[in-house]
Amino acid sequence: MPDRPDTAEATAVVPGGVIHDIGYRHYDGPRLGRAAVVRALFVDGLRGAYGIGRSKRSRVVPFLLLAFACIPALIWGLVVTIISLDELPIGYSEYIVLIQVLVAIYVAAQAPTLVSRDLRHRVVSLYFSRPLGRMHYVFARYTALATATFAFIAAPITLLFLCALLAKLPISEQLPDYLRALVGAVLVAMLVAGIALVIAAFTLRRGFGIAAIITVLLLSSGLQGFVAVIANEAGSELLEEWAAAISPFALVDSINGHLLRGESVFMGVDPSWVMGAGFLAVWFALVATCWGALALRYRTVGVS
Amino acid sequence: MTQLVLDRVSRWYGNVVAVNDVTMTIGPGVTGLLGPNGAGKSTIIHMMGGFLAPSTGSVLLDGEPVWCNEQVYRRIGIVPEREELYDSVTGREFVLANARLHQLEDPHAATARAIATVEMADAQDRDIRTYSKGMRQRIKMATAIVHDPAVLLLDEPFNGMDPRQRLHLMELLRAMGAAGCTILFSSHILEEVEQLASEIEVLVAGRHAASGDFREIRRLMTQRPHRYTIVSSDDRALAAALIAEPSTSSVRLDGALHVDATDFAAFARALPALARRHAIRLLEVRPDDESLESVFAYLVDR
Amino acid sequence: MINTTVARLTIRAMLGRRRVLLLFILPAVLLAIAVLARVVAGPEPQLARDLLGPFAMGTLLPLLALITGTGVIGSEIDDGSIMYVLAKPISRSSIVLAKLTVAIGIVLAFGSLPILLAGIITADQVDGPALAYTVASAFAGIGYCATFLLLAIVTRHAVVFGLLYAVVWETTISQTVPGVQAASIQQWALATTELLLGDQASRAGMDAAVGGIGAPLLAALVVGATWLAVRRLRVLRITGDTT
Repeated sequence: MPDRPDTAEATAVVPGGVIHDIGYRHYDGPRLGRAAVVRALFVDGLRGAYGIGRSKRSRVVPFLLLAFACIPALIWGLVVTIISLDELPIGYSEYIVLIQVLVAIYVAAQAPTLVSRDLRHRVVSLYFSRPLGRMHYVFARYTALATATFAFIAAPITLLFLCALLAKLPISEQLPDYLRALVGAVLVAMLVAGIALVIAAFTLRRGFGIAAIITVLLLSSGLQGFVAVIANEAGSELLEEWAAAISPFALVDSINGHLLRGESVFMGVDPSWVMGAGFLAVWFALVATCWGALALRYRTVGVS
Repeated sequence: MTQLVLDRVSRWYGNVVAVNDVTMTIGPGVTGLLGPNGAGKSTIIHMMGGFLAPSTGSVLLDGEPVWCNEQVYRRIGIVPEREELYDSVTGREFVLANARLHQLEDPHAATARAIATVEMADAQDRDIRTYSKGMRQRIKMATAIVHDPAVLLLDEPFNGMDPRQRLHLMELLRAMGAAGCTILFSSHILEEVEQLASEIEVLVAGRHAASGDFREIRRLMTQRPHRYTIVSSDDRALAAALIAEPSTSSVRLDGALHVDATDFAAFARALPALARRHAIRLLEVRPDDESLESVFAYLVDR
Repeated sequence: MINTTVARLTIRAMLGRRRVLLLFILPAVLLAIAVLARVVAGPEPQLARDLLGPFAMGTLLPLLALITGTGVIGSEIDDGSIMYVLAKPISRSSIVLAKLTVAIGIVLAFGSLPILLAGIITADQVDGPALAYTVASAFAGIGYCATFLLLAIVTRHAVVFGLLYAVVWETTISQTVPGVQAASIQQWALATTELLLGDQASRAGMDAAVGGIGAPLLAALVVGATWLAVRRLRVLRITGDTT
């Protein structure tokens, strides 16, 4: 029987053949639990969403988009500082709506790199042969993309906030709006990341996945705008208000307006708890649907 | 007589040199391109197939450059390593599309011939997505031979094939090589190259290490002694007699007699004479490292 | 000139199951809105202009052209199966032209035709916005397809860069920064339509930011992009995997 590995070569001799123990080591020490695995996947997903730890080329797109998202904030921040305005030309929550296209492109570009690659090359089954449940993998990827998207939205808003502070605008005015916008950013990130992941998980080719995600997100925005206009023509204020549920950004913006009593681009009526609760319910339903779809997708993968 | 000539070809990517000043001529028959992973075999095959331009040097097919020259594809068939095929077509449709792209006069007949040659006639009407790895490889082979090329380039063709499919493919390649086709296949599996190739080109770390028949290559490496295993009626006496010979550098006894000979020719003459003189019967004389493996190991270590 | 086998293979790939779903969604949404608008507000040329202008021409068509223009060659390059088309004795220009033709055909069928229908539904007449925007969408579609096809050959991130152009540049910047409007495929298409239809176009509410120079610019773009695409295809590297 071969000795403990850290002694010199142990040899088992069998007539006609010799087996050398060249030092393969068993690991009998403590192993990190499932939480550590999920955390590692999460960190890996988060880094991948910004191309960190991968080739330089994969960093171009996320950071380019981030730069574009921050440029208006920078410009307005400078304007406010230099011209000494009384208030910011754009609200924090309004800013999210402004950059919605960039957010949509970002999440469309990065969701496939997180999810489609593993599925396409069937690496997922390797993940599942570890002590990792299927939904743990989904959870790790989902939180990674949601966090990355939140960071994407929060960065320019924070930049704006800092510029406002630099311009000596009263913090008591700025802080509540800023915090409301951050809450909005969380809601948007979770919803948009969910939609993007579902689509990416069902379309294995990268280019096609990006196109599909962006189509869904942009169409929903356009559709929302149009339904609102038509509802206006038809004279139905309620329908015009509820049209916001069609687009993720409008939905979160309305939640912000009705529940958090912040400034809102899409809210047309007075803030109402009922409507706010309704919008929030829609948000929950959408996120839950995304989870369900992902669970369905990953239940059968890696088995064949 | 189609010849593929690489003349002082190098290929680099930034600071990494994938292929370093390689000159070789591939003629009719089956040639094996042998090398460890990362030696540059795929790069060379891609350059021969016109998918990649050499950084310096030239790749010529019968005097014509291969790069940026579509017409040369009439004479070249390529079986790439990558597995991706067109989706949602049947095997037959795929080969037929390739035949049409080659602008053949009778694509249907050519398709039928090619599919019969690779023995995929049973599965030809099934969707390609349902094929096993070996079946995909055979369909790729069919697309490469559908236009009866003079040159066939195969990048790791035996990957993923079971023994029966491998034998069949080897038979096919042997037959084509005997009929005058210029075939080059790359592999890092020595047995395959040993069984199939009449000529080998050895590539190590991007450099052309050796070419020709592997036995001849062995002969050329005179610095390393030839190893023989001898079983005789009296090993020890034979050992004592052999070590006295100048052509022997070492003898070793463990069960059988192992001899290192520095001078093959002299040893080959001396051994029978010695055995006769000492009345020792030779039961078995076996070269130990004649195989490609030892040649290869020697080249790689050097 | 155009390789029919390549065209057939491309059509087959583009209209394969999942992809065609995406191609159908865009015109489906447009027609749904058109019907809804008609039901709610009655036949109304202004509504047609609003629908066809910013939404159909501004968002839908570039998106459709992006999916199509990059799709006809992008996924083949991505997974390496373009090799089967390139390792054949057919000229690279016949390959590019075949794929471009297929892309333009799809954009006309899934873009221009629905725009015509949507225009008729909302404005209740063929003349006016419906015809004008249909023609404009055809020109814009050709310009976009040529550009995105070239982009797909040149970079593996064609979809994202195309998006940045089509969505960010065309819709946002080109409307806010005046001088920049001259560099927009959409504006060139509108200018060409105005040149072609004359009065009809301005009655339809079309107002291109560039003058008659838009037409030759568009033509130069299409020819130049196609020529460049052929050149780049010749030296395309089909080796290795990249993320």
